[in-house]
Amino acid sequence: MNAKRSDDFAEKSFPDGAQRMYDLHLSAEQLEIRDTVRDFVTRQVKLVVLKADRLDAGDRRLSMALLDQASRLGMRTLTLAEDIGGAGADQLTCAIVTEELAAGDADIAATLAETSRLATLLFGSAMSTAQRERLLPLFADNDRHQLAFASREPGADTGLGVNYHRPVAAQSELKTTAVKSANGDWMVNGVKVCVANAPLAGLFAVAVKIPGRRSAAVLVVPSDAPGLTVRAHEHAWRHGSCGEVTFKDCRVPADNLIADDAAELLAGHEESGRGSVLMQAVNLGIGRAAYEAALDYAKLRVQGGRPIVQHQAIGTKLAEIAIKLEVARGAVWRAAWACDHPDAYADRSLADLPLKTVAQVFTAQAILEATKDAAEIFGAMGVMRDMPLQKYVHDARVCLNGGESQRDAKLRIAEALSGYRRASPTAVAAE
Amino acid sequence: MDFTLSNEQRDWQMTARKFADEEIRPISLARDAIPTAHETFDWEIVKKGSKLGFRTMAVPKEYGGQGTDFVTQALVMAELARADSAISKTFSQNWKWSHLISASCTPEQKARFLKPFVEDDTYLLGKGITEPSAGSDNRLPPAGDAKAGLKLRAERRGDEWILNGEKCFIANAPVGKLFFIDARTDPSVPLKQGTTLFLVPRDTPGFRIGKVFNKSGWRFYQNGEMIFEDARVPHANVVGEVNGGVKKAGGSGNDTTGGDIFGDLELCANALGICDDACQTALHHARTVKQGGQYLFEQQLVQLAINRMHMLTEALRSFVLRVAWEHDMKIHSCNAGLAMNFSTDVVQQVTELYMDVRGTDGCLMDQHPDKLVRDAFIWSHLAGDTVQRMKVARRLAH
Repeated sequence: MNAKRSDDFAEKSFPDGAQRMYDLHLSAEQLEIRDTVRDFVTRQVKLVVLKADRLDAGDRRLSMALLDQASRLGMRTLTLAEDIGGAGADQLTCAIVTEELAAGDADIAATLAETSRLATLLFGSAMSTAQRERLLPLFADNDRHQLAFASREPGADTGLGVNYHRPVAAQSELKTTAVKSANGDWMVNGVKVCVANAPLAGLFAVAVKIPGRRSAAVLVVPSDAPGLTVRAHEHAWRHGSCGEVTFKDCRVPADNLIADDAAELLAGHEESGRGSVLMQAVNLGIGRAAYEAALDYAKLRVQGGRPIVQHQAIGTKLAEIAIKLEVARGAVWRAAWACDHPDAYADRSLADLPLKTVAQVFTAQAILEATKDAAEIFGAMGVMRDMPLQKYVHDARVCLNGGESQRDAKLRIAEALSGYRRASPTAVAAE
Repeated sequence: MDFTLSNEQRDWQMTARKFADEEIRPISLARDAIPTAHETFDWEIVKKGSKLGFRTMAVPKEYGGQGTDFVTQALVMAELARADSAISKTFSQNWKWSHLISASCTPEQKARFLKPFVEDDTYLLGKGITEPSAGSDNRLPPAGDAKAGLKLRAERRGDEWILNGEKCFIANAPVGKLFFIDARTDPSVPLKQGTTLFLVPRDTPGFRIGKVFNKSGWRFYQNGEMIFEDARVPHANVVGEVNGGVKKAGGSGNDTTGGDIFGDLELCANALGICDDACQTALHHARTVKQGGQYLFEQQLVQLAINRMHMLTEALRSFVLRVAWEHDMKIHSCNAGLAMNFSTDVVQQVTELYMDVRGTDGCLMDQHPDKLVRDAFIWSHLAGDTVQRMKVARRLAH
């Protein structure tokens, strides 16, 4: 074809296997940890969560015994650095663990995923050494100590929607206030809603307005602080648990201020579309559970004279589910890897896109379709509340419709494509 | 081409709309939320609807029914389903089998069963086909395989037949008074040559109802297990001929009035009602709820969602009414099956778009969109699975 061009390539021959930079091998540690979690799910989690009385989407109770066991296996402190008692797991490893857990139980996975996400943010980035030394042992030593970030307030309008390609007119001010009292302690008053992990949290990070300051600050408040009450939201469209947190003359030590600017703390997390992908890993796990159940059933169930997997119509339905899972996992893993290697955006290895949001939109839609197809393979049993398939479909809908809408997520991507940069976050901790 | 409804059709439609708005809608979400499957049912709504004719409207006038045509039936199903899909189905399930009685039963059987059905507001009908190991095999029996399909056995003993076996997922089983039961009378030949249809009253000795299935959608609608232990059914209750085949199409030749063929129209007309509900509520929501100081409807993406919902719904309406009209004209076609398959795609897309327009308020989803997507998902296994689609394709090729 073009001799000149091939010469150009010849000059750029790759020395010492440099072309191997794109690497999809998991490390020995990652494979081992995946096997450990998979084994825990097979031997322990499924025995509990697949019981008929636990499958009703309207009656979801977290198994505290399983959460305790998962914590003892190290899944609650996975992301803490090794020198402070964790496994130092990066985002990709954490995504792998979360998918495995979610293939057993989405609620346990989501609970631990939120704690993992916040453990890095709070103990890893936000706290001073002194703060960490004071608060970390409480977290590290208690299997039931989960973490929560309380930011959303009742009636808050966090949608992107009409604000697409427009600056938000006036950032709605937080109504939760922290006022410095005579001895220096903070006096917190206000209400937060839809706080993930609220019913289980030992420590809350709370976005507050300090009178006289422009930006929202973040305080950490232990759950046993006098004046703090939690009310769980029933039937919330969120995996794990969430609730309303009320602060009434809640006194917080002066030294619990961990960030002067909440937006700065969360920069690079939610708003950028490049933050944590752990909820997408939960979504993958839900799809996996449905896929595995459908595949097993299709091999066993005989209709039309043979196991139904041997019928074209069912075989290709399973193939489509497998395709969706594989492609979605590819997107989630790449976004996770990008979290671990932010320089890869700068050196142009990765597309200049909000890869987490890209993975979120694709995964949520693909997994809903996959779970519906899996349920269809079960016929009428796919809609029975004492069978797992209807739960997987519901769980997938929670991923699709429970958080940021697909519309808003696509608008965020569209803004990024056209280079629109928001001056200030419209929503903190959108998750 | 004339799409005008007759005065009589319009009257039925308006009566159904009023009943749906005033009686069904107020109880729909509360019934759906009851956790125990057999407690979702409400005899009061059945009695009220029955007095307006919604239980017996498919029975010909000569037998004491209202003798409505198929277009009227489609309109009424959609109107009732607009307020609650499962309650609409509870009524129309009776039409399906009263069609069958009128088309296939002897005058003596009609006298014995149609008369009490017409007179008793709580007399509901059902039909038992599905069994634990026979679902798709009943719908699309593999050629020449005598083992495939339903196994419930019926053996002749004098003037009686002795039935043994079980059925599952049977609609109206927990609440019905009379059931059509498909049973094997010759297990050595394939389903179509060795099956006989029986009329089995609820109080038949040796026949009982087992568990009530707890479904994620259509919660009002009762599906149950049927257990036959030496159940004794008189020979006089055989419908048509012994080994006369599964009387699904409601008779022979070009008769398109009964059983499965009506079932196809029934499912697509019911889906239309859900779509109407979703469209109407989505539009109302978009025009009354604000985000960022503006009505949701101001957003292009919301307009596009509402456009798609209405576009699909109106296409379905055209298809449903055409099928109903073809039934009235005795035109034989595969359109009923195609419309049923199509309604699966439409009702799921439309309700999912509706759920997207509603979204969550923080982390809470309103029960109404949740109920509609759960109800719509019932279509996957009833109307839109691959077997139901291939079955229609084979009718097309026939």
